[in-house]
Amino acid sequence: MRATDNQGSFLNRISIRRNQVVSMDGNHEQELEDLELFQKHVADRFSDLLLPKPSSDGDSPSGADALLSIAWFRKLLDAFLCCEAEFKAVLVMGRDPAQFAKAPLDRLIPELLDRAVKALDVCNAITHGVEMLRQWKKLAQIAVTALEQRPIGEGQVRRAKKALTTLLTSMAFDEKESHHGKSTDRNWSFGRRGAAAANKDKTAGNFRSLSWNFAKSWSASKQIQAMSSNLIVPRGGEPTGLALPVYVMSTVLVFVMWALVAAIPCQERTGLPTHFPVPRQLGWAQPIIGLQEKIGEEWKKKEKKGTCGLLEEIQRMEKLSQGLVEFADGFQFSAETDDMAAMVAELAAICEKMEEGLVPLQQQVREVFHRIVRSRAEVLDVLDQVGKLSTPVPY
Amino acid sequence: MGDVMGDFAPITPTNECEEHVFIAARHMLKALGTSKNVSDDLRRLLADVDTHLSRRTQITANMIDVTREVEEQLKFAQEKIMRWESNTSTIWASGPEKASDYLQAVYDIQRLTASLRSSPSSSSGNQKELLDRAHSVFQMAMERLEAELLHILAQNQQSFEPEYLSFHSCEEDIVSNVSIVSTEDESIGNTSRRDSSGTESEDHIVDLVHPDLISYIKSIANVMFASHYDQEFCHAFTNFWKDALDGYFFALRIDKLSIEGLLKMEWNCLNGKINKWIRAVKYVIRVYLAGEKRLFDQVLGEFGSVYSTCFVEASKGPMLCLLNFGEAVAIGIRRPEKLFKLLHMYEVLADLLQDVDSLFSSEVGSFIRTEFHELVMKLGDTVRATFMDFGHAVALNPSTNPCSKGVIHPLTKYVMNYINTIVVYACTLNLLLDGVQDGAELVPFAQNISLDNFCPLAHHLRSLTSYLEHNLDDKSRLYKDSSLKHIFMMNNIHYMVQKVRDSELVTLFGGEWIREYTAKFQQHATSYERVTWSSALSLLRDDGNTSRKSILKERYRGFNIYLEEVYKIQTGWFIPDTELRKDLRISISQNVIHAYQTFIGKNSSVIGEKHINYTADELENLILDFFEGSPMRLPSTHNK
Repeated sequence: MRATDNQGSFLNRISIRRNQVVSMDGNHEQELEDLELFQKHVADRFSDLLLPKPSSDGDSPSGADALLSIAWFRKLLDAFLCCEAEFKAVLVMGRDPAQFAKAPLDRLIPELLDRAVKALDVCNAITHGVEMLRQWKKLAQIAVTALEQRPIGEGQVRRAKKALTTLLTSMAFDEKESHHGKSTDRNWSFGRRGAAAANKDKTAGNFRSLSWNFAKSWSASKQIQAMSSNLIVPRGGEPTGLALPVYVMSTVLVFVMWALVAAIPCQERTGLPTHFPVPRQLGWAQPIIGLQEKIGEEWKKKEKKGTCGLLEEIQRMEKLSQGLVEFADGFQFSAETDDMAAMVAELAAICEKMEEGLVPLQQQVREVFHRIVRSRAEVLDVLDQVGKLSTPVPY
Repeated sequence: MGDVMGDFAPITPTNECEEHVFIAARHMLKALGTSKNVSDDLRRLLADVDTHLSRRTQITANMIDVTREVEEQLKFAQEKIMRWESNTSTIWASGPEKASDYLQAVYDIQRLTASLRSSPSSSSGNQKELLDRAHSVFQMAMERLEAELLHILAQNQQSFEPEYLSFHSCEEDIVSNVSIVSTEDESIGNTSRRDSSGTESEDHIVDLVHPDLISYIKSIANVMFASHYDQEFCHAFTNFWKDALDGYFFALRIDKLSIEGLLKMEWNCLNGKINKWIRAVKYVIRVYLAGEKRLFDQVLGEFGSVYSTCFVEASKGPMLCLLNFGEAVAIGIRRPEKLFKLLHMYEVLADLLQDVDSLFSSEVGSFIRTEFHELVMKLGDTVRATFMDFGHAVALNPSTNPCSKGVIHPLTKYVMNYINTIVVYACTLNLLLDGVQDGAELVPFAQNISLDNFCPLAHHLRSLTSYLEHNLDDKSRLYKDSSLKHIFMMNNIHYMVQKVRDSELVTLFGGEWIREYTAKFQQHATSYERVTWSSALSLLRDDGNTSRKSILKERYRGFNIYLEEVYKIQTGWFIPDTELRKDLRISISQNVIHAYQTFIGKNSSVIGEKHINYTADELENLILDFFEGSPMRLPSTHNK
């Protein structure tokens, strides 16, 4: 594009000016520097997530923000938001819109936007999943309340067991059958009344609201697969221009969504890939690969057993609930309550963590949602400009 | 129900055996004391023993009495509760008396448990056993009440259906699917807009359960809260209503769709879904949730903030689901035909802002409040962007083939119908377009009218018509015949003026605009006359060169050939507006007939009567065939 075609419109004139600025050498260097910095920051942020710095009060690494804990996810989402902001600066700011229309961006940008839309749905599924975690927390809290009472009697044990059975049933939503049999819940059968069946379901805790929020065909694992399927490393040994940052950010996005789906109850997760390929030679990708391996291992272990998610708190909650139900079943024969007390204390601690962490986590997921929406709009705006440029304004 | 938690009943002795021993002992002491052989010292000692004995009797009797009494009462209450364990109907179904009897029993157990706990010897075996039993019965009662609660809620949930649920208009929303391009002169959006208003009774708050049951539900809440089973109550109650709202979504035919799915959806299909959504949003917020919040207040109001927390819990998920649909529409591809539906959505949501603010006024509700406000803003942005895009699209509309017969271009119809439909949203658009640049850089049109007195929408609409005019000008260049070019411009600008004048647009555009554009199409009419007729008229003009017969004949012949040619072509042109057509013909007649008459009158003798093809009247009739849209032919005359 040359400045000789003076009949250009207002928009044309602007882009000419921009083009001139961008093509100056100093600016190109600046661009490379920004790109370098972006990769470094991605690497740093994910290194922190891989190896949390031991906190000053000497907490063990498995403490406050252990891998896959609520606190860890809050850090992960923070990292995502930071990377995203930086990425947008690299991609959009001071950019000649015409570049978006040229290869390889003309292909990469639509792919990026498509991933963004899929991520929005994943965010919504996760928001819903966190809501379910809050339900579980409430049930666990009932058990804690009952079992913290002294002296402890059959009534309290029964109360706790009812809540925990409901909790475990809900956790095993996908394989209802295995848990339904064990339930000692009184299923009131108010006969002769049409709603009996529905009612039975409800007393057992299977509220419909705990079901999923999309059409049945929607599958979180399929979304993740689709998001990662066209994730291809920019070819050639010189990853310059915008192809690389688009790839970096897409990898980050897919990783974050993948980790969320693996950890938090989510519609249809069977077949969730245990990993997606990220080339090892890329420096910035090392911590992400490390995290992926760890989480992938966990997923493989859990998937066999059927799972309600890898979230650390949930896994512990499930185990403790099972333990306490066992305790409840044997309550008449054993007066031994020390173990029980320890389990209750642990469950209480988890409840507290969830009470503190889940609502902020939910809000953060929503923030990610809105951020993706905004960024998508900004990219679309640039594309819009390209569109207008390619159809010359006749006046 | 608190009134039933009265004091303990007076204790009455029951353990007769022990009692008798003590009574016998005291009788003996009394007998000794009255004997005359007893010294004063001994008498004093005996009196002491008597006092001591009597005090002991009371204490032991009291203790034993309490335990027995508690056991009795527990047994009594337990029986009442156990009686219902095997009963398959609800307690409520047996009448309010039975129900309050049951609740009374629960309160009794609660009171007994408390007294057992506070009793000093609660660690003793018997006491602990009683306490255990009390807890077990209590738990049974709580489970029963929770089940009872859910059952009566399910049984007595009011099935109120908004009127529109009964008809099936939403599925095929034909009216609003009409493509704007294909519409003739009827307005595009007026019919589809607010199609649901008036049929809805959304002003009154509904009862979600039968009012008779509220007090019973509340008494269950009271007893469960008093028993520290508030978590169970809230969990069951909240989830029930969350489910119920989910069920209503189903009834309102709101599908749960992914954003991706919505973005990929055809507009016609999406449009139908938006209609349903608009109805659902209005109904759910204004009627359903208002009723739900009142119910939560009635049942849980006296327990403080619990009621608003539970209400938010019960409605948050479904609300987010509704909001996500709006998000998906707001981020969809911008297309001009979406504008009206977007405006409608925006207006509906903006109208609901206050309702949402008051429904979710609590701290925990701020999440929904914020999300709702953000969605309204986003939709506003989308409306604005869509409107601005429309201007660009009009300015850049490609000109490929000329419109046959010089009629009104589809673009003109589209734009004018479009902005005609916009008028009903004028207030909203004025708010949204305030301070927005009108993209004047697109068309450097000379704006003769001062715009200071006009609202933002008027400003933008004038820009829009000016883009249109420029684009039409472009299209007119496609005609090879410059006369037809003027007819085309005249037709189209006249159409614009007419559309403005005959609608509410007139107030937005103002008289000045109408005068300016009227002058424009009249100018094109004049230009047409000049281009088509001036050469013909010059043949008839007496310019002093007409003295020679051959020249006169030649000129007359030339005129006839020209007329024949013009007649053949211009009868095929079309001026759709009859008035305009008439006016132009009159104007032509005035000029041409007059000149012709003068020419004939002066030269008929020279040319010769038999060579005169038409009288002036005949010529006038010929002109009446012009612009009717069906090409005609004159019988060839110039060979005569």
